[in-house]
Amino acid sequence: MGANLTGKQRVLNALQGKEVDRVPVLCVNQTATYEQMEKLQVFWPEANYKAEQMANLAFGAASVLGFDAVRVPFCQTIEAEALGCTVKDGGKEGLPSIRDHLYKIGEPPVMPDDFLQRGRIQELIKAVKILKELAGDNIFVIGGIIGPFSIAASLIGVTEILKSSYRKADTLEPYLEIGERAGTLLAKELIKAGADAICIEDMMASLDMISPKIYREVVAPWEKKQIDQINSLPLISHICGKLDAVMDDIAAMGVAGISVEPKVNAVEALAKLKQYNHPIALIGGVDAVQTLFSGTAEAVKAATIKAIEEGYAMIAPGCSIPPATPLERLKAMVEGSIACQK
Amino acid sequence: MSAALDYSKIFVRYDLKLERGTKEHGAQSDDILKKVVNCVVDGDVDNINALVTEALQTIDPLKVISALVDGMNEVSRLWDEGIYYLPQAIISSDVMLEGVDLCEQKMGKAMEKKGVVVTHTAEGDIHDLGQKIANALLRANGYEVIDLGKDVPVDEVISAVKQYKPIMVTGTALMTTTMTAFEKIASRLEREGVDLPFVCGGGAVSEEYVTGYNLGVWGKDASQAPPMASDAASGKNWRQLREKYNG
Repeated sequence: MGANLTGKQRVLNALQGKEVDRVPVLCVNQTATYEQMEKLQVFWPEANYKAEQMANLAFGAASVLGFDAVRVPFCQTIEAEALGCTVKDGGKEGLPSIRDHLYKIGEPPVMPDDFLQRGRIQELIKAVKILKELAGDNIFVIGGIIGPFSIAASLIGVTEILKSSYRKADTLEPYLEIGERAGTLLAKELIKAGADAICIEDMMASLDMISPKIYREVVAPWEKKQIDQINSLPLISHICGKLDAVMDDIAAMGVAGISVEPKVNAVEALAKLKQYNHPIALIGGVDAVQTLFSGTAEAVKAATIKAIEEGYAMIAPGCSIPPATPLERLKAMVEGSIACQK
Repeated sequence: MSAALDYSKIFVRYDLKLERGTKEHGAQSDDILKKVVNCVVDGDVDNINALVTEALQTIDPLKVISALVDGMNEVSRLWDEGIYYLPQAIISSDVMLEGVDLCEQKMGKAMEKKGVVVTHTAEGDIHDLGQKIANALLRANGYEVIDLGKDVPVDEVISAVKQYKPIMVTGTALMTTTMTAFEKIASRLEREGVDLPFVCGGGAVSEEYVTGYNLGVWGKDASQAPPMASDAASGKNWRQLREKYNG
């Protein structure tokens, strides 16, 4: 393909298995860094609460880093907060986190009728609209939601959900149901606001946390239910950890892209994804901590080139970008992609 | 073992059996102690109380504790091998701690502790599972654990170290967005003249990062906590620990 594509077209093509001029670079998780904040003069905590700041800082992924896509929000607490969890502010350097869990197992959870009006949901929706204006036809816009199992973990506590997932999974059903409904409702609004894709982060469903059996029996049915309701546009799954044992389960759900950490065996994963009769993009290739945060620009570029050779359809950090990561290393991902351009 | 009293066939849960095979665990010779070991390995919350109570009628509490620790060590091995996942390990650690409590009640005092370890999960991070496993393993091995919990501000770690004078501090982070707190803790401790191993680990934490600041020792896995604490208790400093476990 001779002509240069826009970032948006590049990502879209990669998700649809079509040809690209070069492999797109993006992060489907949080993208903000302290240096971007300085350059853009938009900072946390404001950018975690106000639509305009949120969008402006998120757009730094394109305007400062040169990525092909942008993504909001930065934190993983939007749905849980709107469901009633108290959130602890992370100040200038950190992200908001869940302060208190809302329910003890056995207590019936409540889905607020005005869920979409609560917490920061409207700010997030507005941020997507602003991002769409900033992005125009050039940049791909990703709206992020949290997967059912991870929202349920915020509602009842990480330890509780893990213990119950093993011994008494049926007691989790009401919280998983609310988790699924919350994410689905939010996703539909983000789609209406103009998002080009939805990323579902279900970080608690990592095999660092649960066994493949629990993933299949407890987590996957709710993820599938969610995906079936919002698959009017491309969906991207992100789960951290070594996912090899459940790659097939994720692929079978009908997502357009799967974002993984480099600890996943890419060659095996790609062989599995090829079995499906529709394209599924493998996203990732650069370790967010070892290479991006602790490495060098050369190492990032080398990891990018290696990942492209392995067959990753899109280059991304394997997880959220650590906010203290230097710009030159993030830009080195784009340089690596350009170096491989045919 | 008489066939009529082969409890091992009664207490084994079949999902677990599938995941880890059917072999016997630990080196305990008494039947009842073997059952205690298996009870911990199986995470059998419902039976630990009765089993330990029964064992304590005839067996020295310290021996029962040793069986509980054997069970937890087996869990730790199964976890290292990727056969067990966190849910199993957490439940087993609960079972073990419940058993240890019963033994300590019987003794009328807590086990003599080999030293104090302060543990925490990084500020902003609510994923304290790895820390909980480390806590359980440390307790099982006779250390007093000051558990600061999850999402712990830097200041709180510093003041706990001053207050409890531990032999070692640990930090866990699962999120890539939270681990930088460790560097701050290490430099604050140094400034305060504290010189001890600060063992950092968890999904988001790399060896390169942790060995990039003084005091830092990278913990690959929670199961390294007890041997590291043992080295720290015997007087090894953070540089010696780093040399032994990292690089």
